[in-house]
Amino acid sequence: MSAVAGVLRASWVTLSTSSRHSSVQRGGLFVKALFYAMVFSIIASLWRAAAAANGGSVAGYSARQLMWYIAMSEAVTISMNSRLLADVGTDIVSGAVSVEMLRPRSVLAQRVLREIGRVQPGLLVCTLTGMAVSWIVVGPPISFSALALSFPSLVLAVTCNIAGHHLFASLAFWLRETGATWFIYQKFVFMLGGMLLPLEVLPSWLRQFALLTPFPSMAYIPARLGSGHVEPWLLVVQLGWLAALLAAAAIGFRAGERRLQVVGG
Amino acid sequence: MTSTTRSTAATLRAAIAEATSNRAAFAFQATVMILNDLAWVGFWVIFFHKTGTVKGWNTSEVLLLQAVLTGAGGLTLGFLANSRHLSKLISDGALDSALALPVHPLAFLLVRRFDTTAVGDVLFGTSLFLIAGHPSVERTIVFVGGTIVATVLLTSFLVFVGSLTFFTGRSDGADMGFNSILVLSGYPVDLFGGSSKFFLYTIVPAAFVATVPARLIQHFDIKSATEMLMVTTLFVIAAVFTFRLGLRRYASGSVWTRA
Repeated sequence: MSAVAGVLRASWVTLSTSSRHSSVQRGGLFVKALFYAMVFSIIASLWRAAAAANGGSVAGYSARQLMWYIAMSEAVTISMNSRLLADVGTDIVSGAVSVEMLRPRSVLAQRVLREIGRVQPGLLVCTLTGMAVSWIVVGPPISFSALALSFPSLVLAVTCNIAGHHLFASLAFWLRETGATWFIYQKFVFMLGGMLLPLEVLPSWLRQFALLTPFPSMAYIPARLGSGHVEPWLLVVQLGWLAALLAAAAIGFRAGERRLQVVGG
Repeated sequence: MTSTTRSTAATLRAAIAEATSNRAAFAFQATVMILNDLAWVGFWVIFFHKTGTVKGWNTSEVLLLQAVLTGAGGLTLGFLANSRHLSKLISDGALDSALALPVHPLAFLLVRRFDTTAVGDVLFGTSLFLIAGHPSVERTIVFVGGTIVATVLLTSFLVFVGSLTFFTGRSDGADMGFNSILVLSGYPVDLFGGSSKFFLYTIVPAAFVATVPARLIQHFDIKSATEMLMVTTLFVIAAVFTFRLGLRRYASGSVWTRA
């Protein structure tokens, strides 16, 4: 029992320390919010123009819903360190990860917890910015119940994304390179994850395929909820994918750590 | 040929040879970049398939915009790769190796690093124009000219915001400038309203990086071409002036080999 309590306590310390560290970097948060506002306004303008040119809606989403959709989908992606996969891969290739293997804790758990903590202040700032702008420009949320569901979904989405980054980064143990993997992963989140466009816009076959992947859990689901769809079972889908992604990343790291060879230091 | 031109060409040749020495990795990275660009084309095709014409833009016009953007972006971030890293080099105090050489430091720095992935962008931009840009002699000349001017403008903007690091000491602003111009250039400027439009034609001249050249390929008009040349000239002057002025404030970090 005391061992479990120790692990939980260490996990909480890791999470809260990285979150505090991130929240005191006011300049970085300000730049993130500014960048979020810029990207959000571009993509929201694009979709609002599209809705206006199509009788007020696109693929079942009104202009107002599209604005709230983009506010959420961009908040979960921009609050992340977009190069996390490449950074983890670089640490694997350079051998820097070997120092972490000396600690009596899982390298993956330590890194995932640290990143979850680090991303929270940015997620909060981006979400509040997006909500404020959407409220001012197109009016209040379509459904407050759906909006309430979107908050835990946002946290689950970034956690799924962090787990996904680590899963793909674990390929660096074998490939010794992550630049290309990062580009491919990023585009999966953009398109199959619904970051740039609601999945309902995709052709039917591509939408069916996207829904079989974990990427919608990283952007589409919180955005779908935030755009006024009261669909609580989507949280269960996210939880399922989170468990699968963490398990796969753990297998990848465990197998990779066994074959890691570091020369010099 | 002046000594600066000769030394710059020799440095670029060496940088390309160094970056492409591993042929397999080079081909792989270029291919991945082409796939990355294809995803954007996929996005626009799906978008316009669903929405039709939006604010005067349709699939073929946006594909022209993408052709110019990937071409200019590839040339800047591939052949002049340090334009993106200048702010980091300055904030780390890592310009020493360039300053010790008997060549113009800015020219040397810009061509010193070659990024192989951007070759995929250049190939993709050219191919996209040939496939979807209805190439004629006139349109090809405007495409090539527009891409070259957009490359000069993009590079100058990056050097300008990167050189501001001499005064601020931090590279965050330059990173923001880099991300802003690339993101904003990827969308037709007509999507934005009055004040945003003014911003995109002046402070962050994203409109001239892709939208204006794409429009010129469709319908060439001397007024827009002159405006683009004037803005580019202004940013070249601002970039060189800011770099030279900032260099007087440079503090070495004793990092010799990273430029």
